[in-house]
Amino acid sequence: METMQPVLKNGRNVWDRVNMPEAEFCDRLNKIRKTMKRENLDLLLLYGNGYDDYGNYSYLSNYVIRLARGALVVLPIKGEPALIFEGASRGIPSVRKTTWIQEIRAGGDASKESVKFLEEKKWVPSTVGLIGVKSQMPYDQREFLRDSLRGSRLLDVDPLLREMRMVKSSREIDQVRRAGRILSRALAVLSETFFPEVNEKTMEGTLYREARIEGAEDFRVMISKPKRDQGTFSPPEEGTLLSGETVVLYLAVEFERYWSEAIRTLIVKDNGLVPVERQDLNERYKKIIELLEPGKAASQFCKEVQTQIRKEKAELLPTYGLGQGIGLSPREYPILSKDDKTPLKEGMCLTVRFIVKDEALGAAMTGNTLLLTRKGPEILT
Amino acid sequence: MEVSMRSNHVKLIRVVDLLKEKALNGLIIYSDGLSSLLRPAYLHYFSEFKPLGPRNAVVLDRSGNIALIVQPAWDGPRASQKTWIPDVRGSSQFLKDLTKTVEEFHLQGPVGVVGMREMKEEVYLGLKKKIELRPADEIIEEMVREKGEKELALVRKASRIADIGAKAFLDYARVGIREYELVAEMEYAMRSAGADDIFLLLSSGRHNREMHEPTDRRLEKGDIVIGEITPGVNGQFIQLCRTVVLGKVNPVLVEKYEILIHALDESLKEIRSGASASSITIAMNRVIGEAGYAKYCAPPYMRSRGHGFAVGSIAPGGEIDDKMKVNLEKHQVIAVHPNQYIPETGYLACGETILVTDTGAERLSGIETKLYESA
Repeated sequence: METMQPVLKNGRNVWDRVNMPEAEFCDRLNKIRKTMKRENLDLLLLYGNGYDDYGNYSYLSNYVIRLARGALVVLPIKGEPALIFEGASRGIPSVRKTTWIQEIRAGGDASKESVKFLEEKKWVPSTVGLIGVKSQMPYDQREFLRDSLRGSRLLDVDPLLREMRMVKSSREIDQVRRAGRILSRALAVLSETFFPEVNEKTMEGTLYREARIEGAEDFRVMISKPKRDQGTFSPPEEGTLLSGETVVLYLAVEFERYWSEAIRTLIVKDNGLVPVERQDLNERYKKIIELLEPGKAASQFCKEVQTQIRKEKAELLPTYGLGQGIGLSPREYPILSKDDKTPLKEGMCLTVRFIVKDEALGAAMTGNTLLLTRKGPEILT
Repeated sequence: MEVSMRSNHVKLIRVVDLLKEKALNGLIIYSDGLSSLLRPAYLHYFSEFKPLGPRNAVVLDRSGNIALIVQPAWDGPRASQKTWIPDVRGSSQFLKDLTKTVEEFHLQGPVGVVGMREMKEEVYLGLKKKIELRPADEIIEEMVREKGEKELALVRKASRIADIGAKAFLDYARVGIREYELVAEMEYAMRSAGADDIFLLLSSGRHNREMHEPTDRRLEKGDIVIGEITPGVNGQFIQLCRTVVLGKVNPVLVEKYEILIHALDESLKEIRSGASASSITIAMNRVIGEAGYAKYCAPPYMRSRGHGFAVGSIAPGGEIDDKMKVNLEKHQVIAVHPNQYIPETGYLACGETILVTDTGAERLSGIETKLYESA
């Protein structure tokens, strides 16, 4: 789900080599190069921009840019890859602590710096695969890249990496699981906290504090008050939450590059926030996620969810989407929509959200990050 | 106005006048929803709505027809609550809705685009097929110059929150706490006080090289802890740069920090509306140079001596330096920081944010800039 993006990823910035050893990146490198060979690519540029869309270059480098800037990995079919980020060269020692890539370049414009680097290495003209460039690179940078590499054959090959990123390795699954634990912990602390006055900003501050102390690199909070304001999600604002008011919280956390999300419905009671325990909502949610099976297309899952909901004479509020893949981005493939025919596979991490109208609460919503296993979905949050 | 405006909002009246002055038939103010400390938030300034999705635009013509298109569609109700623009359109097919609005407003010929560099190829090419795009960031930059009470109230509110953040920094910077835990406490204090965005960099150790995002490092006795504390409220940021020593302060450090305090004071003396922006850094570099560190007044030993802060503009600029050719203007908000690497002490943080007035610099922080000592 879309959230308000921060001006900087303020949280813990480390590379824990136990959680994510260099061997993991070697495996990825080999897999990507095998595909490059198959596709006759001499070079690959893996680009990303901003706070959510860093997955393409981070998948190979482990690096994440912490500002609203671009970065990319230049990967030749043979030889050492390079990491290029938009920023000052004095940041290179800090960047080096979170990546195994030795060749690191900094500059004001990722596109110009890349061209300079490719020419210096004499790696162009050649056949260059572009990932994330068309969809994420500012148009003027893309134009520069295209004009400067006129002698090369440029191919947009986004699906090449998409396939790999969709199915997680066991280490990636553990990272998503760790991120999920932070969410559970933050929610537990929230419901244990006594607030002299329950207001959105103090509630947000409490969640942030807990998430950061647990190691959150990035953290997002959205709030919906279904009994007022049309019940849509907004960033928390200054304002008191009234006793008896329903509060739906959307939380997303990034831990060592990997995301997890959860949605919970709470009620303001006795200077605190109490989770809503609705057996019927939980049972319905369970029935829905049980429809997730490896081999089934994402679109088929959506169709079955709609049938299930109709059967129960419940109302699905599809405003925020049913869910999607999650990992190195809070929103990645597959998309759980009627248009995405991607087959669901074991090892995918997915989010599934469910919202129902409710007379007493206004609406009740639940959502989790799930791991798709051979036996079905496992809830990670 | 000769035409009937769709809103009587002062910003719309002003922008239509500017369009006529610049012979533009309309204006598109675009935002990719990303926040950056050193990039103006034009759409946020103009519409008074801070977008969260990846594609958002205000479209307007010379007759005062105006619409705000936001993505995702479900963010439309929030946009309607925040903005003065009466016509808000939540969109799930952004390019289609944008070009439809362009057609609806009969925009043809030269149309100004603010925030064009935030566009990705699909939107840029889609628009280019329909209209002649002219970069027009200067339209908003001109409008931003006229600051009212509302903007100044925001500056003061963000300043109060920055003080709360600086106090948390001084209170929690203690032996044993990890860098990222220190950030957690500062963030809690500032968010609870009303910050809606925060930029925090710090470093700890006997000899720091730069400020960075927090690591796992535990603070130790004898550490010099430096922090850049920058809360934001509704797009207005205020920055304080502070240094605290855990334990007894080394006299050499006291002596070197005094140089930076002196450099800060001297540079603040130069500030008043009409003065050259470069006079800030010239004064700062003179003091540091005279203390024997002239060769350190350049990267990688320092990054920036100062920069502007405001929702719709970062004037006088994203990096004030000795060669800058612009003059300061009344009510500009400027971070002034002689943050500096000194070989004997490492990198030190020293600075604050001021308001430019006709008579001088108004210091916005209530927390003194000095070398702090913690038990």
